[in-house]
Amino acid sequence: MNCQRVRQIFPELLDSRTSATQVPSGSTGTIEEARAHLASCPDCQREFARLSQTMQALDTLPIAPPSGRLRRDFYAMLEEEKHSAESVRAAAERQYRVRRAAMWRWVLSPLAACALVAAGFFAGRKVTPMAPAPATSSPDAVALQQQIKQLQDQVSNMGTLVSYSLLQQQQRPANDRLRGVMSSATLENPSDRAINDLISAVAFDSSPNVRLRALEALYPHAEQDVVRAGVLASLGREQNPLVQVSMIDFLAAANDVEARPALEKISVSVASDENVRNAARRALTQF
Amino acid sequence: MGPPANPLAPGNLPMVNRARAATTVESATEQRPDHALMLAVRGGELDALGELFERHHGRLFGFLVKLTGDRTAAEDISQIVFQRMLKYRHTYRDDGSFTAWMYHLARRCAADHFRRASAAPHAIDPSALHDHADDAPHAAHHATTRDDHALLHAALARLDHGDREVLLLSRFQELSFAEVAGILECSVGAAKVRAHRAMHALRDIYFNLQSTRTGQGKIP
Ligand SMILES: [Zn+2]
Repeated sequence: MNCQRVRQIFPELLDSRTSATQVPSGSTGTIEEARAHLASCPDCQREFARLSQTMQALDTLPIAPPSGRLRRDFYAMLEEEKHSAESVRAAAERQYRVRRAAMWRWVLSPLAACALVAAGFFAGRKVTPMAPAPATSSPDAVALQQQIKQLQDQVSNMGTLVSYSLLQQQQRPANDRLRGVMSSATLENPSDRAINDLISAVAFDSSPNVRLRALEALYPHAEQDVVRAGVLASLGREQNPLVQVSMIDFLAAANDVEARPALEKISVSVASDENVRNAARRALTQF
Repeated sequence: MGPPANPLAPGNLPMVNRARAATTVESATEQRPDHALMLAVRGGELDALGELFERHHGRLFGFLVKLTGDRTAAEDISQIVFQRMLKYRHTYRDDGSFTAWMYHLARRCAADHFRRASAAPHAIDPSALHDHADDAPHAAHHATTRDDHALLHAALARLDHGDREVLLLSRFQELSFAEVAGILECSVGAAKVRAHRAMHALRDIYFNLQSTRTGQGKIP
C-alpha cells in the first residue's frame, strides 16, 4: 500500500464505527493493512497526527450552553400545546382507551362513518335479489353513486354547520359563539366533531355563558366516556363557581364514578367556594 | 385561550397532570430510552418531550452553533426543532431513531433559516463566538487554548456549508453512517466520501491558520 492510498483511509481509522477487518469504500486495502503501513511510515504518522488532532479539537470544542431563553420558550410552547383542544381531547382519549372498550365511535371521523354507511348500503344492495351486479354504466349503479354522493354531502354539510372552532374564533362576540353552540346542540345526531366542539367550548371558551350553554348541550351525550372525561378535565380548569357547580351537577347526573376523587378533594378544599363544596358533597351522596 | 390554570383549582387536573406525575415516577425508577419517550409523545404523553429536551438540547445547540456560527440563530433553530417534533409527532415512525430524526429536523430547520436570512453563504465572525478570543492575535507566539478554539471556529466557518454539515454529523458516533446518509438524503458511500473530504479540508484550513498565526510560515 502506498502513502496516498493509506491517507485516504485515515478517516476510517479515526472512526469508532469502523471495524478492524472492514474494507474501506473505494479502497483495495483493508484497515489492517493501513495500520501496518502507518506503524512503519513517519510521514504518514505525522499526517495522521494532524488529522487526528483536528478531529479531536472539533469533537471537544466547548460550546457554552444556550441562554435560559431556550428552556423557557420550550416549556411555554409545551404547555400551550398541552392545553390546545386537540391535546386535551387526545389526553382524554388516551386515558379512557386504556380502561374502557366503547371508544371505537370516537375514532370514526364523519367521513369514515359515511364510508361505512355507504359500504353498508352498498352491501345491502348487492344481496337484494332485484339488483343486478352493479356495472359502472347501469342506471342502478348511477343511482347508487348519487346516493353515496348525497350522503357525503350531508355529512360534510353537517361538518360545516357545526365547525365551531373555538380556539381560532375567540375573537368573535360571545353571542356569535353562543349561536355556534346552539347549532351544534340542536342537531338530532351530532357528529363526533360537534361533540368535540361542545367539549372545547366547555373547556376553553372565555365566556361563562357559552361554557354553561355548551355544558347543557352535552347532557344528552353524557353516556359517552369522552364527554364525561372532557367535563371532568374542564372542571379542573374552571374558575367560575357557578360553572363549577353546573359541571359537578353534570358529573353527578351522569353518575361518573371517575369524578369521585376530584369531587372528594373539592368537598374538603378550603380554596373552593362554599356553594361548590356543597355541590361536590351533594354529588358524592348521589353515586 | 381560556382562563389560566387556577393554582387553587379543586381536584387534580385529571388529564393534564397525570402524565407529568407518571413521567416523574418513571424517570425516578428507570431511564426510558429516547425512542420510547418519543413514541409516548406521539401517543399524546406530551410531557415526555420535556425529558427528551433535557437530554438533547445541549448537544443539538452545540451542533447548530458549529454549523451556523451564530449562537442566537442556533437558539432559534433549536426551538423550532422541538416545535416541529411536537407538531409532527404523528409522523415519528415505530422503527425510527430519535437522534437521527432530531438531526434530520435540525438540518431542515437550519436550511430554512439560511433561506430566510439570505441567499449568500453565511460568514462567521469568530469573535462573536468567543469573547476576547482575538485580544492580541499578533502578540501571542504560543497558542493558548482559547485561541485554538477561535481558530477552529474560523476554520469551520471557511468550510463550505455542505462540508460543515456532513462533517459535524459524521462526528456523532451514535449515528450510524446509514443514518447520516439518511439525514443528508444521499447514499452511504457518498456520505462517507463527503465526510472524509471535509475532514481533510478542515485539517488543511486549521493548520494553515495556525501556522499563519504563529508566524512559522506555510506547512511543509
Ligand atoms: Zn506512508
